[in-house]
Amino acid sequence: MDPLRSYLGRLLLEEITPVVMVLSTPLAEAACLPVRTASEVPYRLQMFKIRMVYASDVRKEDCEVADEMIKPVVSEANEKALPDLLSDPPQVEDVLGKPEAELCPLWIKKFNRELMRTLSFSEHETFDHPVACLLVVSSMDKEPVNKFVDLFNTNQLPSLLNDGIMDPQILKHYLVLHDQQEGPQDIAVNVLAEMRSTLGLNDCKLLCINSSTEAGGSNADNSWLPYKALGLNNHDGSCFLSVDDLNEIKDFMQDFVSNHIIPYMEQKIRVLNQQVATTRKGFRNQIKNLWWRKRDDVPEASNGPMYTFTSIESQIRVLGDFAFMLRDYELALSNYRLLATDYKLDKAWKRFAGVQEMSGLCYFILDQSRKDAEYCMENAFSTYLRIGSSGQRNATRCGLWWAEMLKTRGQYREASNVYFRVSNEEPSLHSAVLLEQAACCYLLSNPPMLRKYGFHLILAGNSYYMSDQKQHAVRVYRNALFVYKQNPWSYINNHVHFNVGRWYGVLGILDLAIKHLLEVIACSHQSLTTQNMFLTDFFHYVQSMGKKFDVYKLQLPVFNMSSLKVIYEDHRTYASDADVGVSESTWQELEEELIPSSSIVRTNWLDTQPMRKYKDSCICVAGEAVKLNVELKNPLQIPVAVSGISLICKLSTTLDALSSDVSGLDLDGGEDKVNTEPSISMFETDGDKFTLSKLDIVLGGGESKRVQLDVTPKVEGILKLVGIRWTLSESVVGYQYFEFDAQKKIKKGKRGPRRSLNNSLVVIKGLPKLTGSIDRMPTNAFAGDLKLLTLNLRNHSEYAVKGIKMKLSSPRFLIPSDSSDIGLEFPDCLKRHMQSESSVVSSKTMMDNFKSLLFAFPQDIEIQAGAALSWPIWFHAATPGNVSLYISLYYEMGSSSDIKYRTLRMHFNLEVLPSLDVSFSISTSSSRLQEYIVRMDVMNKTPSESFVLHQLSCVGGKWAVSALPSCSSINSVETVSENQAVSYFFKIKDCEADSCKEAESGSCTSDMALCPGSSTDLFDIARSPLADFHSQERYRQGKVAKGPCSLLDFVLISKAVGNSSKPTPDFELLSHHTCHCSSLSQNPIWWLMEGPRTISHDFSKSYCEVNLQLVIHNSEAHKILVRVVTFDVMPEKSQTVHPHDSTSAQGGWYDVSLENDPVKTISSSKSTHQEKQSSKSISPYVWCSLSCAQIELQPDSCARVPLKVCIFAPGTYNFSNYELQWKVHPSEGRHVDENEKLLSRGGLGHPFYVTVLQSV
Amino acid sequence: MASTACFVIVSKNDIPIYEAEVGSAPKKEDLSYHHQFILHAALDVVQDLAWTTNAMFLKSVDRFNDLVVFMLLHDSRSEDGIKSFFQEVHELYIKIFLNPLYLPGSRITSSHFDTKVRALARKYL
Repeated sequence: MDPLRSYLGRLLLEEITPVVMVLSTPLAEAACLPVRTASEVPYRLQMFKIRMVYASDVRKEDCEVADEMIKPVVSEANEKALPDLLSDPPQVEDVLGKPEAELCPLWIKKFNRELMRTLSFSEHETFDHPVACLLVVSSMDKEPVNKFVDLFNTNQLPSLLNDGIMDPQILKHYLVLHDQQEGPQDIAVNVLAEMRSTLGLNDCKLLCINSSTEAGGSNADNSWLPYKALGLNNHDGSCFLSVDDLNEIKDFMQDFVSNHIIPYMEQKIRVLNQQVATTRKGFRNQIKNLWWRKRDDVPEASNGPMYTFTSIESQIRVLGDFAFMLRDYELALSNYRLLATDYKLDKAWKRFAGVQEMSGLCYFILDQSRKDAEYCMENAFSTYLRIGSSGQRNATRCGLWWAEMLKTRGQYREASNVYFRVSNEEPSLHSAVLLEQAACCYLLSNPPMLRKYGFHLILAGNSYYMSDQKQHAVRVYRNALFVYKQNPWSYINNHVHFNVGRWYGVLGILDLAIKHLLEVIACSHQSLTTQNMFLTDFFHYVQSMGKKFDVYKLQLPVFNMSSLKVIYEDHRTYASDADVGVSESTWQELEEELIPSSSIVRTNWLDTQPMRKYKDSCICVAGEAVKLNVELKNPLQIPVAVSGISLICKLSTTLDALSSDVSGLDLDGGEDKVNTEPSISMFETDGDKFTLSKLDIVLGGGESKRVQLDVTPKVEGILKLVGIRWTLSESVVGYQYFEFDAQKKIKKGKRGPRRSLNNSLVVIKGLPKLTGSIDRMPTNAFAGDLKLLTLNLRNHSEYAVKGIKMKLSSPRFLIPSDSSDIGLEFPDCLKRHMQSESSVVSSKTMMDNFKSLLFAFPQDIEIQAGAALSWPIWFHAATPGNVSLYISLYYEMGSSSDIKYRTLRMHFNLEVLPSLDVSFSISTSSSRLQEYIVRMDVMNKTPSESFVLHQLSCVGGKWAVSALPSCSSINSVETVSENQAVSYFFKIKDCEADSCKEAESGSCTSDMALCPGSSTDLFDIARSPLADFHSQERYRQGKVAKGPCSLLDFVLISKAVGNSSKPTPDFELLSHHTCHCSSLSQNPIWWLMEGPRTISHDFSKSYCEVNLQLVIHNSEAHKILVRVVTFDVMPEKSQTVHPHDSTSAQGGWYDVSLENDPVKTISSSKSTHQEKQSSKSISPYVWCSLSCAQIELQPDSCARVPLKVCIFAPGTYNFSNYELQWKVHPSEGRHVDENEKLLSRGGLGHPFYVTVLQSV
Repeated sequence: MASTACFVIVSKNDIPIYEAEVGSAPKKEDLSYHHQFILHAALDVVQDLAWTTNAMFLKSVDRFNDLVVFMLLHDSRSEDGIKSFFQEVHELYIKIFLNPLYLPGSRITSSHFDTKVRALARKYL
């Protein structure tokens, strides 16, 4: 591309042109206002232009003044930008498709030019120095010739001329201006003649203007046409100019330029060139120059030495500039280069930079070396920057040129860099415009750098805002919006939208302001102050709107749509909302046996028809509220008041809708509504068909709340839940529609009723409904707590219900009592009554299922409309832990309706705390068969409660419990206080096996009172609730019991005693059931010798025969083979298991060996005796009946082996010379090998002392 | 010396998946968007550079006034420290990436990652 054709080329041709200084008298000025504006007349052939400048303007302007001049340019564009702001922001495609000219509006170019013009007439550049001077005098002036002299009087001339920076010896041209309106032309001609005689022939001219007779001639417009392109407009002052006048002006200018200015400049160039060639060109001159300069290092000012127009440097500069203006760029360049070295040596940095700048431009126009051009510009730019504030504006101009140069060459990225650097040096308004240009460059670069574009636009916007140009700021931000659209850089988004919104608000375009602010009000990541600021601004603009307005999908508060849950009651009803949270499968499992299967529901095929119609949709009942649970969250840290939260619903009662496919039709309708009618007002009209609940809440910072919204349909039809509506801080109405996935919908339409969230419900006729609750249902209890609760059922409808059944999930905790318990007083009903024997077995029927319990109310019970029913129900906290109890109540409709039955579901969560820890250990009594010593360890695990032990009972009539004889008063410890552990010892006896007379005497009782005075009011554990709970416990504990052989179950009943600080409000009873206790003995069998203890016998007659019985009991759950072996020899200390040989019997007195006695009372003398004995030990008695017997014992049974002993002398004998060997026969499938040794073992006889006396 | 450093991991489509202000300079509310702007704009340069070099470490990518962008926006000078910081963070990121529960491209919310990155920042920057 030809550099001259480029924008910069044209710019240079226009800007760097010879300057003609105009000096005129005031009268001439008054007459020829248009002359000034028409001054830039093109020299058509070469597009040569000159500039005419008032002498008063020929000075360096203050920065401030210059800035003031630039401002209107921007403000003017401001007004134009306004309508644009109302349209939609541009999109990526639009922006990329735009040509460069549109991206960079015209006013920006104008601005650039104005910015450069502020630098005119600087002292270090000569292309602004006037080439010629045009002196204008009006023909009406008196003594025109003298006026001309006065005009060029030095004291009126610009200071630069006087200071000697500009050459005052410039071309002068004299002009007499004659206004035709003022008078005839003759005066002017006379003046001209006079001038010619005094001032010279060629330099004087006469110009006649305003020859037109009619004001505002129609042809005036046409005559101005050629100049319109130059930015000149026909304005008031020109109304008297005729075409002839214009032509005359043109001719005059052409003549002036071609005949005077250009020849003058040519001549000057020649002269100067000659001068420079002689002084500076050539080797000799350069050496001389260097040498001369080195010597001449005078202390300099920061800008280098002053150069007057006579100095050689200035003249070279003038030469360069003239050459540049006359487009001899080669010549200009060579001069500039020459000058650059000089200035550098002189450290005249500003001048150096100026020269560099010019040579850069020369390089550019010559299109020679791009690198050189860039190097020169860079050099100039940085040099200007280095010299500080005085060079700042020059740096800007240089940067602008540089950037234009780069743009011409397509180096947009570098250009934008330059713009950016320039913008840093300028006040905010200028930098804004420059940044905007930088942004444009990024967009134009290939590939377009959109992010940079956006960023620089934002920077520009900020600068615009700072310089109070809000329209521009908004415009620029808006342009950047598309870059940041849909992007998750949260802070960026917030910043952009907030500022755009705020500025729109300032400009008074409130709807757009609010639209943008809506994007930022839900910013959770910002700090508290920022959020506050956002919200305050938002509400401020909303209030200045002056009306409530609707916002679709308002982000504050956030409705968590995934948490949405619709609760409706068809045949399933719930006691409380918490019960809905329980999974449907839990309920279904529980209700398995309760509700009739679907085939039963249809009594005949006609009956099923209405049901089938609703199969795909959900059913709700008129008059009953449909609840919708949704979670809303305040994303901010500021509390937010939300009021009037309610559902948007629609209820259609038309029969068409009923009969057609309900779900499909309505969902489609709903979707359409969302898209087409985002208005909510229409839904408020349905007030007679349903009622809505309204909810007001205040959400704290960051708080989440679940709210429940109700809609109660009043008539039958199809109820559709469309959305939610709420009011934020009394000013903004937000609403949101429920969204249903379109794809899912299609699939579901085919497949049917698997719909988790459905927005349309079929409303059917009103049905009876029971509500239920359990009075005083505890939320936490101590383990063992036994309570009588009341189940209250109430029928709110106007129909009766019947056929009530109930199913409970855990009968271990809850057991409904039967009707006989109604009206009983707790705990007296548990006490033992003589006449209540019959009720023992009453509850047997429901004990077969331990997992859940089905309870049918008596058939005759019917709950009438509005009536209530109370039913006692027993509660027992069986085990510690968290327990969920489920109750499902089934009832049938009294009247016929669409639904045959309904269920009421109740759910309770319960925390059971550990209270008393009761454990028993039983050991067999060694002296008595069927007697056991029981140790009961009770530990109070509660931190603060004390308990009184009331009663210990053995379950079943078989066992009798009594205190040990030694401590008949067990009552020494009656209260177990917190963290205390107590042990009690009891004796229990098997009454049945013994069947002795003690049983009748009354001392044999299975209950034992543990506290004084309680013996009279013992509780009857065989009666309904306790027995029921016990059988449940027995079943549960049997599952985990280790020992296969269980002996007996205990029930410990205790009472809670309020500690001093907190008295117990009512009577608290605890029952602890310990089941499957068994004896601690190691051996599977135990045995006992029975027989007379004292015998009198007359030994003189015969030896004495003693009949004994060995009772063997198998406490194992397996068959055991027992072998009893008697032997007459005393066993060795280190005996083996089978000392079989029973040798000859011998008589005589022998000391009783206490060897096997558990109580060792052997003196030392005896032990020596014993040792002697052991060598040849012969027992003093002889077993006589048998030496070996073998019996098989069934599990848990006794056997008696008769034994006989012969004694030959009186004395005390220990019949312990026998041994038992047993072998366990495990049941099938049991693994034997591991504990073979354990299973096959033996034991020696227990000592059994018999004293035989000689009978007298 | 108070230094500024804002570290962002960006996944494709310009989505920032991890952001942290790791500099020791006191955090200023109004600067956080400033940093985001700079980082976001620098992505343009990264996009260009990524095609021209194989190296994972792109050196100084962009600069804004006295802030230099390595995709870490910081104002300190030590390039070596930054390089090792990037290496370590990259390892951490790979660990996160290997987590089967992490959906690539989604925001990193692991607090462990956060503490590790901050520790590394203290160590190297």
